[in-house]
Order: sequence, then C-alpha cells, then structure tokens
Amino acid sequence: MFLLRLESVINRFSDLLGKVSAILFVLMLFNVFYDVIMRYLFNDVSIGMQELEWHLFAAMFMLGVPYTLKVGGHVRVDLIYERLSGNQKAWIDLAGTLGLLLPFCLLVGWYGVGFAREAFELGETSGDPGGLPYRWIIKAVIPFAFFSMAISGVGLLLRSINTLRGHHPVAHYQPPSH
Amino acid sequence: LAAIALPAQAADKVYRLKMAETWPSNFPIFGDAPRNMAAMAEKMSNGRLKITIDSKNKHKAPLGIFDMVRSGQYDMGHSASYYWKGKVPNTLYFTTMPFGMTAPEQYGWFYNGGGMELMEQVYSQYNLLSFPGGNTGNQMGGWFQKEINSLEDLQGLKMRIPGFAGEVLAKLGAKPTNIPAGELYTALERRTIDALEWVGPSLDLRMGFHKIAPYYYTGWHEPATELQFLVNQRSWNKLPEDLQEILRVAMRTAAYDMYIQSYHASAENWQRMKQEFPDIQVKSFPAEVISAMRKANDELLAEKAAQDPLAKQIIESQTAYMQKARVWTDISDKAYLNSLSAQ
Amino acid sequence: MIGIVMFFVALVMLLAGFPVAFTFGGVALLFGVFAEGPDMFAFMPFRIQSIMENTVLMAVPLFIFMGIVLQKTRLAEQLLESMGKLFGGVRGGLAISTVLVGALLAASTGVVGASVVAMGLISLPVMLKYNYDKSLACGTICASGTLGQIIPPSIILIILGDVLGIPVGDLFKAAVGPGFVLIGVYVLYILIYTWLKPEAAPSIPMDADVNSKREQYGKALKAIVPPLALILVVLGSIFAGVATPTESSALGGAGALLLALLYRQFSWKMVLDSATETVKVTAMVFAILLGATAFSMAFTYTGGDYIVEEVLSDLPGGQMGFLLLSMLAILVLGFFIDFVEISFIIVPILAPVADALGIAPLWFAILIAMNLQTSFLTPPFGFALFYLKGVAPPQVRTVDIYRGVMPFILMQVAIVVSILLFPDFYGLS
Ligand code: NA
Ligand code: NA
Repeated sequence: MFLLRLESVINRFSDLLGKVSAILFVLMLFNVFYDVIMRYLFNDVSIGMQELEWHLFAAMFMLGVPYTLKVGGHVRVDLIYERLSGNQKAWIDLAGTLGLLLPFCLLVGWYGVGFAREAFELGETSGDPGGLPYRWIIKAVIPFAFFSMAISGVGLLLRSINTLRGHHPVAHYQPPSH
Repeated sequence: LAAIALPAQAADKVYRLKMAETWPSNFPIFGDAPRNMAAMAEKMSNGRLKITIDSKNKHKAPLGIFDMVRSGQYDMGHSASYYWKGKVPNTLYFTTMPFGMTAPEQYGWFYNGGGMELMEQVYSQYNLLSFPGGNTGNQMGGWFQKEINSLEDLQGLKMRIPGFAGEVLAKLGAKPTNIPAGELYTALERRTIDALEWVGPSLDLRMGFHKIAPYYYTGWHEPATELQFLVNQRSWNKLPEDLQEILRVAMRTAAYDMYIQSYHASAENWQRMKQEFPDIQVKSFPAEVISAMRKANDELLAEKAAQDPLAKQIIESQTAYMQKARVWTDISDKAYLNSLSAQ
Repeated sequence: MIGIVMFFVALVMLLAGFPVAFTFGGVALLFGVFAEGPDMFAFMPFRIQSIMENTVLMAVPLFIFMGIVLQKTRLAEQLLESMGKLFGGVRGGLAISTVLVGALLAASTGVVGASVVAMGLISLPVMLKYNYDKSLACGTICASGTLGQIIPPSIILIILGDVLGIPVGDLFKAAVGPGFVLIGVYVLYILIYTWLKPEAAPSIPMDADVNSKREQYGKALKAIVPPLALILVVLGSIFAGVATPTESSALGGAGALLLALLYRQFSWKMVLDSATETVKVTAMVFAILLGATAFSMAFTYTGGDYIVEEVLSDLPGGQMGFLLLSMLAILVLGFFIDFVEISFIIVPILAPVADALGIAPLWFAILIAMNLQTSFLTPPFGFALFYLKGVAPPQVRTVDIYRGVMPFILMQVAIVVSILLFPDFYGLS
C-alpha cells in the first residue's frame, strides 16, 4: 500500500511540473509576441525581454520532461514493445529505469549542481547591455529538472513494480502516448 | 647508472595538454592561432609537449571555456577575455576597448606598460593564467542599411552589437539587439535589424553581408581585438620550467602570427569584395556622432571605475599608456600616412 | 572502436522499447563512464545550456502550439478537407495537400521537429479519418515535414554555409530548384500510388446536398482562407522583415489564438489545454535532443570522431568516385548521427578533398544538404520518425512509419543521384 501511495504522491509532483511548464509556455508565447510588436510598431528593443524569451523556453521544456515521462509521452521504438504483455512491458521499464534513466539523470543532475553553484558564487550576469542578472537561476534549472526526471523515473519504477505485484490492471499497462 | 638514467627519462616524459577553443572547427584565422601554437610547442619541445584542440563542435560550450579551464576539464583554452564580463567584470578590459589603443599600442601596454601584471591580478583569483592570443587588428564598425549622418539617425537604430560597445550605443538611443549568428544574414537582408557588426573583411566576406547592405562603416568600438590563451594554474604548475617557457614563447609567437594573418586576410578579402561589389560605400561616422559616442564611453568607464578599485586601476593604466603611446603614433605612422595623402 | 560498439548496443537497446531519450542517455553513460570515467559528464551542463540558449529551436514549441490550436479549433481539419475537395475527384488529395502545406511550413522555418510534429497533429488525424493507408499518411508527413531542411530558410543550409565558407544567400538561392523538384516528385508519387492502389487514399466525397460545383468551391475557399491567411502571415512576416523565422512562429501561435477568437472557439481553458499538450510534445522532442547530445558526447570523447575521420580521409580519388563514396558515407552515417554532427564533424573532413578535386562548392553543399535531409527519414535514428511517433495516435505503429518512409527515401536518393549526374539541370555546376 505504501508503494501505491508513494507512486501517487510522485505522480502529483510530476503533474504539478506539467502545469508550471504550461504556464511558462504561455508566458513565453506572449513574451516573444510582445517583443516582435514592440520592435516593429514602436521601434523598441529590450535585451532583457529578449533574454527572458529563452529563459522561459528553457525552463518550460526542461520541467516538461519529467511531466511527459509521467504521462507516457516519451517516444519508444515499439517494434517489439507493442507485442509484449503488460507484465513484460513492466519488466522492461523496471530494468530501463534502474539501468539507464536513473544513473543518467542523477549523474547529470549532480554535475549540474556544481555548474549552477559556480554561477551563483561568481554572481554571474548577462554580458549584454540591459541583460538579465542572476544567471544561476536558469542554470539551476538543469539540476532541478534532472533530479525531477529521476523522481518521475522512480514513479515509473513504482508503477512497474506495483503492476508486477498485481496492483494495477495489466491490460493497459502503458498509458497511450496521446 | 640509475642516477644518470633518471633525469634523461624525466626529460623525455611527454606532457599532454587538452585545449578547448570557442570557435567551430575549421574556423579561419581565429582557429589557426591555437593550432599554430600547438604545432610550434610540440616542435620546440621535441615532442615532449603535445596539445590537442577541441573545437566548439566537440565541447558545445563556446562560452564555457572560462569555467571548463578553471575546473580543469581542459588544461587550456583559446577564446576572448571580454566574453567573461558577465562572470568577472574586470575581464572586460583585456580584449579591446571602444576608442582604445591600436594593436601595436596595446601590445606595448601588455608587455611593457603593466598590462600583463594587471591581467594576472584579475585572473589569478580564479586559478587561471591568461596570455594574449592573437589580434584581429582594427575591426570595422559594421554593415548598415541606412546612412548615419547625425545623432538623430542613431535613435532607435536596431543593431546587433554585443557587449560594452552595445552599452555605449544604447546610451545614445540605439537599440542593441540579440540575433543568433545563423539568423543574422536573413535579419539584415529583410531589415529586421538595421545594422550589425561582425569583424572586418577577414571574416565578414564569408558571411556575405556585403551583398545585402550598402554601407560599410569604419571602426570605433574594437580597434585591436586581442584573443586569449587561458591556462589552468595547476596544469601550468605541473609542467617543468623549460616547457613552461616553450609554451609561453609559442603563445606569444602565435598571437603575433595571427595579427599578421588577419591583416593579410583583410587586405585580400577587401580587394575581392570591392571587385565583386564596387558599389559598397565605405563611411565613417560624422564628428558629432563620434564625439557623442566618446562621451558616452567615458561616462560608462567612469561608472565602472567608481564601482571597483581594480577596474579603476586598469582603466587608469590603459588611459595613461595610451596617451603616451598615441603621441608617438601621431608623429610616426599617422604623420607618415597623412603626409602621403596630402600630396 | 568504443563508438562503434556503442552504436550497436544503442540499436539493440532501442528495440527493447524503453523511451528513446533515456536509452541514448543511459547508453552514453555506460560507455562514457567505462571509457573515460564519470567526469566526462561534467560537460553535460554546458551542452544542455547550449540547447537551452538556442533561440532558433524556440520555433519548435511555438509551431507545435499553432498546430495544436488549429487542430483543437478544427480549422486545420477544415483546411485540409477543403483542399482535398478542391482537388475534387483526385484521389490522394489530402496527401497532396499535406505536401503543399508542408512546403509552405518549410518556407517559413527550417526546424524539422516543428514541421513534422505540426503536420502530424494537423493532417494525420484527418487522413486517418478518411481511411488513408497508414503508411502512406505517415510517409507523406515525415517527408513533407523534412522539406524545411532544403527549402530556404533552413538550418542545414545556414550551418553548411558556415562550415564550407559559402554565403548563406547563395546557398538559399541554389536550394530553391532542388526543393521544387522534390515537391514535384512527392506529388507525382502520390498520384501514381493512388492511381495504382485507389483504396489507399480515397477521395473525399463531395457534399451530397450541394448541387452546384461553384457553391462547393465557394464553401471550400471559405474554409481555406483563414488558416491559409495565417500561414501567409507567418511567411510574410519573415519576408517583410517584421520578424526572424523564430519570432514568426510566435506570430503564428498568437494568430491561431486570434482565429480561435474569430470562430468563437476561444477560452482560457482551451489555451491552457493546448499549452499542456504543447509542453508534452516539446518535452518529447527536447528529451531526445538531451539524450542525443550525451550520446554524441560519449561518441566523440571516446575517439569516434577520429575513426570516422580516418576512414573518410582515405576515400579513393576521382571526382565522381569521391562524390559517390562521400554521399554514401553521409547517408550511412545519417542512420546513426544527427545532421549537426555530420555538418560539423564530417563535412570539414570532406571539404578540402572536394576543393582539391575541383568540385564546385555550391554543388557539393546542395548534395550534402539533400543527403542530410534524407538522414532525418532513415530508420532507426531518423528524428522525423521519432517525432511523428510521439504525436501519432496509438493505432499508428512504428512499422507503419518505417514502411511509409521507404519510398520517400528512395525518391530522395534518386534526386541526389540526379543532382550528382546533371548539376547543369539544377544550375549547380
Ligand atoms: Na566584432
Ligand atoms: Na525552410
């Protein structure tokens, strides 16, 4: 029961990241649109607003990755996978998460911490006139996103374990990608 | 016997250094400098110093050289000091400054006017050594779609001009704009931006800007862009003294070689551009604009000097040296060229 | 050597069906750590940052959003259906419309991920609704989606211009001809295919209650005009210099919302739903880029680039011999590595040889660009295939996509060969 509850807590975390990403996307759309209009109609350009575009863009897709993992949106080569039974699919996800996903995300996340800390300690800012300060914030998105991917990965792991233990209906093990 | 053999063995030991450059592979001139340096160092050391170079295409971090050399992921880097001004503001002064020194003047400052010592003071805090890495010579003021006849024409001018020079123009009402390098050509052609600066004929030719913009303005903002060799302090300390000296000489020679190569390539490429597109108009900014830009530049420098004592020291050192050297430039090269054009 | 082994291990692992992105990343980690130690991964944050800062890639989510809004408001469906009807009795009308819309999208951006995904969202459901053969539908979308690489403006051409030292403008001009030929050949193929196999692409039935043909056309035009106007605004904003290609995608996104407003389909819930959907697809695309950058890092840092360099610099001489072999090498490498790697790692090795053999740089560049475009379609590492799979409904299987792109790959290769043999025809000699 604990494992089931843990899985649903993690799922809620991933969903939250999805909501944040969606809002970041809408902000980015308006940001880019605003910049085009300002430049063309009012002949005004702001480097800070231009930089904000890619800050929003980067945070949006980085935080979107763990959410997409939770909803099963990451593409698989399913030549074989689609013919497997639910239990077999669960085994593949179990092994893949332990052997591929978790080591990768944790290692990149770990090096990301040093990367962001460096920017924090130097007080790094944009090098361009009117650019954004506090570069460490966007750099910290890297470790945060990768650790979140690891957490979402644990969610996938629990899902496969809970499936193998018979807590989830095997028939539709993997949610459709769309 | 062993006592005699040992030093010989030590002398034969091969030291391998990994260097990262900001430039993509096969980037002419900028990329030739580190390769030239590595080849010289290997030859001079009789093969004991081997330097491999990874370009941007391999490490994917053109503006991460500072961090990667600092952390020891690479032993060396080839880049430009002013790229780090967002991380360490005082690195700004060791590339070139608007209305600053010309290349011979600036080399004089580096090697005889206290420049190297000041650069060391800035970089040693980060366990880095920095050396001049090759000069582009005077950079052109850029390609313009419209003529600049007065200060009024700078108002709202959308120009790709990064860094400190961009700040100067922004003070006068221009709008520095960020456009990715891959979109520059399209943006200038379709007038998404009014102007851009790149380097000079040596590297502008391959970008093709001369086909789409009528005015080529002469320079003011980068009179002597000096690239940079960065060395990790620990990697440097591991080298025996003779190899340190070989490396130092190789870097200094490669820097000088690049200055010559840039000059040559600019002359060649400018001839080609002018032949293919005889309508390109070379322009200089009117006196009113130049003096306003100069004033804005001085104000910005005064602000920086007021904020940081080391910055103040560097700016004062540069200003003092330039005043002294410029008097000589005026009665030598400048007087010579003036006397010829007066005929 | 490690690089080669890594390829095959990745290949086998991918077949197991674990998400592609994390398979790439995990395999890179296994081999990278084994060969060089974990510290190699200290490079990852820098590589990730270069993806984060790549504002050209910003067009990906924005075009996806435009596609999703057009889909949710059913405007895209109407556009395609009407275009299909305009072609009247022509079978395969929807597929031809897809090619044409793909060509329009291609002319406004050079981002394959964006075009394939947008077309997958817009036209795949419509084609499936009208009982199109799944393979034909998928192949058409993947191929039309990659048109953006050859029809200017295009990222491949910009990168190649940089690497080969050719002005981008010249490359853009040179690519127009081959691009049109490609579109023509696609359309021709669809016509022939549906003529031989009518049930693969049924024509859309004319509305029974409408009598006059004129009325039918009027109705079709009404459905075509708004979304087509949107696409023209996107295109026009680039050509008029109002926006860079990246920014024009934002105009497209905002424009789609405006259309939704005009057709009384707008609600904030619709916007948020579309944004969530956009995030999902975007994250899928970028996760692959994150995994692929780890993969190519492990490949190059374990010496893979030197192996490739050695093999390529030993290619036998002779203009035709060299061209044939280098094109073959690029095509085969395209199965494994992405086009940016090829442009930056392989092309610089080939360029001096081509130069020495007196091969016209523009000709060489267009050949490479065409070839790289093909590499987006070649299984198992073709990015267009991953992207389409990511947005396709569950009943579309990987096999359908693989089978669908095969004929298009053959057509591409045929055109590459024709450029090789008849450069004069394309004005490239
Ligand atoms: Na410059
Ligand atoms: Na394009």
